[in-house]
Amino acid sequence: MIHVKNLSHSYNHDGKLAVNNISFEVKKGETFGFLGPSGAGKSTTQGILTGLLKQQDGEVIVAGYNVKKVQNERFNKIGVSFEQSNVYSKLTALENLKYYADLFNVPTRNPKELLKLVGLDGRENDRAGEFSKGMKHRLTFVRSMLNNPELWFLDEPTTGLDPAIAAVIKDIIKEEKERGTTSFLTTHNMYIADELCDRVAFMLDGEIKLIDTPKNLKQQYGQKLIDIEYVKDGKIMNETLKTKDESDRAKIADIVKSYDIQTMHSKEATLEEIFIQVTGRGLI
Amino acid sequence: MKWFSTYIKEMKIASRGFYFYVEIVIAVIVLIILLVAVKEYPESKAKEYIYYDMPAEMMEQVMEKEILEGNIRVLEDTELTLKPTSFELLDKETGKSEAYDFMEEKSIMAKTYEVINQETGLVSQTVYIFDQKEDMIRLSNSTGNMGASIISDSSGTLSYEYYIQGYETDRFSEVLYILHTFVTDDIEERMNQQTIREIGGTERLNSRESVIPVYIAFSGALMGFFIIMSYVFLDKSEGVIKAFAVTPSSVWSYLLSKTFVILTTVLISSSIVVIPIMKLKPNYLLFYLFLGVSSFAFSSLGLLVASFFDSISKAFGVLYLIMIAFMLPAFSYYISSFDPFWMQFLPTYPILEGFKGIMKGEADVSYVLLYSLVFFLGGVILLAFANMKFKKTLTV
Repeated sequence: MIHVKNLSHSYNHDGKLAVNNISFEVKKGETFGFLGPSGAGKSTTQGILTGLLKQQDGEVIVAGYNVKKVQNERFNKIGVSFEQSNVYSKLTALENLKYYADLFNVPTRNPKELLKLVGLDGRENDRAGEFSKGMKHRLTFVRSMLNNPELWFLDEPTTGLDPAIAAVIKDIIKEEKERGTTSFLTTHNMYIADELCDRVAFMLDGEIKLIDTPKNLKQQYGQKLIDIEYVKDGKIMNETLKTKDESDRAKIADIVKSYDIQTMHSKEATLEEIFIQVTGRGLI
Repeated sequence: MKWFSTYIKEMKIASRGFYFYVEIVIAVIVLIILLVAVKEYPESKAKEYIYYDMPAEMMEQVMEKEILEGNIRVLEDTELTLKPTSFELLDKETGKSEAYDFMEEKSIMAKTYEVINQETGLVSQTVYIFDQKEDMIRLSNSTGNMGASIISDSSGTLSYEYYIQGYETDRFSEVLYILHTFVTDDIEERMNQQTIREIGGTERLNSRESVIPVYIAFSGALMGFFIIMSYVFLDKSEGVIKAFAVTPSSVWSYLLSKTFVILTTVLISSSIVVIPIMKLKPNYLLFYLFLGVSSFAFSSLGLLVASFFDSISKAFGVLYLIMIAFMLPAFSYYISSFDPFWMQFLPTYPILEGFKGIMKGEADVSYVLLYSLVFFLGGVILLAFANMKFKKTLTV
């Protein structure tokens, strides 16, 4: 669905590359996570893929279209949910969706049903300017679903949302995946990526450091850990021990045998921890 | 259809916004001012103070003759207050000056007459007759109105002394010198022998109508230029251009719909002022054609300028310079002696000339059509450039 080869981009044509010779592919039906801290080059890459930024070098095929050629009909297959809400504040929620629906050349989804999907039913006729930040974000999100996109670009889809609404958004993304939609998810939230993505790419300083499935990454870079809370000499003690380390395994056995265990949990390394391990940098 | 959807959406947004009503409200205010405060033929009611240096009977005879001929009309005597003042009076003939010093305030009653313009029947002047020459000079000095002393010698021949402020032009003084060098009856006879031809057509716009070409030119062109930029910057601040850019619609249709919103607003606001004032005088087909193309060209220019900037605050310097430059032809419109050649290259110059002709009802059709074509082609070219620039500046 997406084919990128040797893509580079410089904003000022001064040799300083925001995106430096990256290559990757996204298969049909896949949810692909593009992860990295701010300034890593994620948004620049997405801008080129969606046609908002002019492609300079390399080869980019999106939904079967070469993005270097201006072919507006490709947007019938594409949906873009922006990180920053960008709706007409003077139009109502329903007017916003109806207007954008008219711009597509393919059958579109019922705007009222979409609003209901993200809990905006009952607010259809309120102007978007009166909405909270989260409501505007939801409106921006469902707008990207109007044309039943085959390829869905999601830029930080849950950022700034309360946990309940974020859960709804994640469920919608999962449902769309079930329907065969390919998603390109840009985020710095590793938990969302871990939960939703089939494969993730770690991006830093304009370069892709690695691409793999979250499961493989955890197996390759992560270690299983056990958090133990126990009572020793009347005091509560906490320890995190590695299951693959011989001395730690012996210590676990000793603690279980000798002390009163309060809690004991097994734990996997998070994508964030793996990202730090791989790149040497955090996500913020 | 997409273009129409965008146009309808833009009209909805415009009608819920501030700028749309600014134009409409300004149009209504201009109409009210023109109808209420600006007279079609303003009366020039100058005041003149006269002292008759002749026997009272002789003066009364002169005034009665004027009243009988319908040249003047008697009003109630006016109470005038003469405040303390001091000044010098210069005799232009001799070069001698005379000092006047009045310490006390004084009230006097002056006989008052209105001078009637025989052609229009309107009052052209109010004349106050003074018993004391000093009072006439004193009030003339403090009010800035002209004073005159009419002197009759023993043979009944009249001579005139005028008291003017000193800032009047030499031409005005010369007119006063020759004003009474002919016998009054001769003046009319001689005037009838003169022929005066006006350059620039026969039809004249009255005071109220003469405002219309300037209002239309600046409301249609410059306001369109400014407001379309405001609309674009509003969209940029809301980020909706980016959302539009990822739909199958073209940037071209977005820009064109904005232009048509401006055209709609301009047509409404211009009609509010033009139709009630001008009634059936203009050729409306020509008027709406010229208004449409000139507004289209300036809207396209506004779009092109907007494509270079992120916000209206960053564009303000350029916006201000362009608007000031385009307003300059208004000076030529009102001051006919100020018409430098370079001014004709400013696009608002032919707009003003075109609307002036159309409003008079005697437009040079070929001139209007030629410039309509120029503005249309110019608008298309500017819009094409704006389209290219917008495509490049839709940054993430």
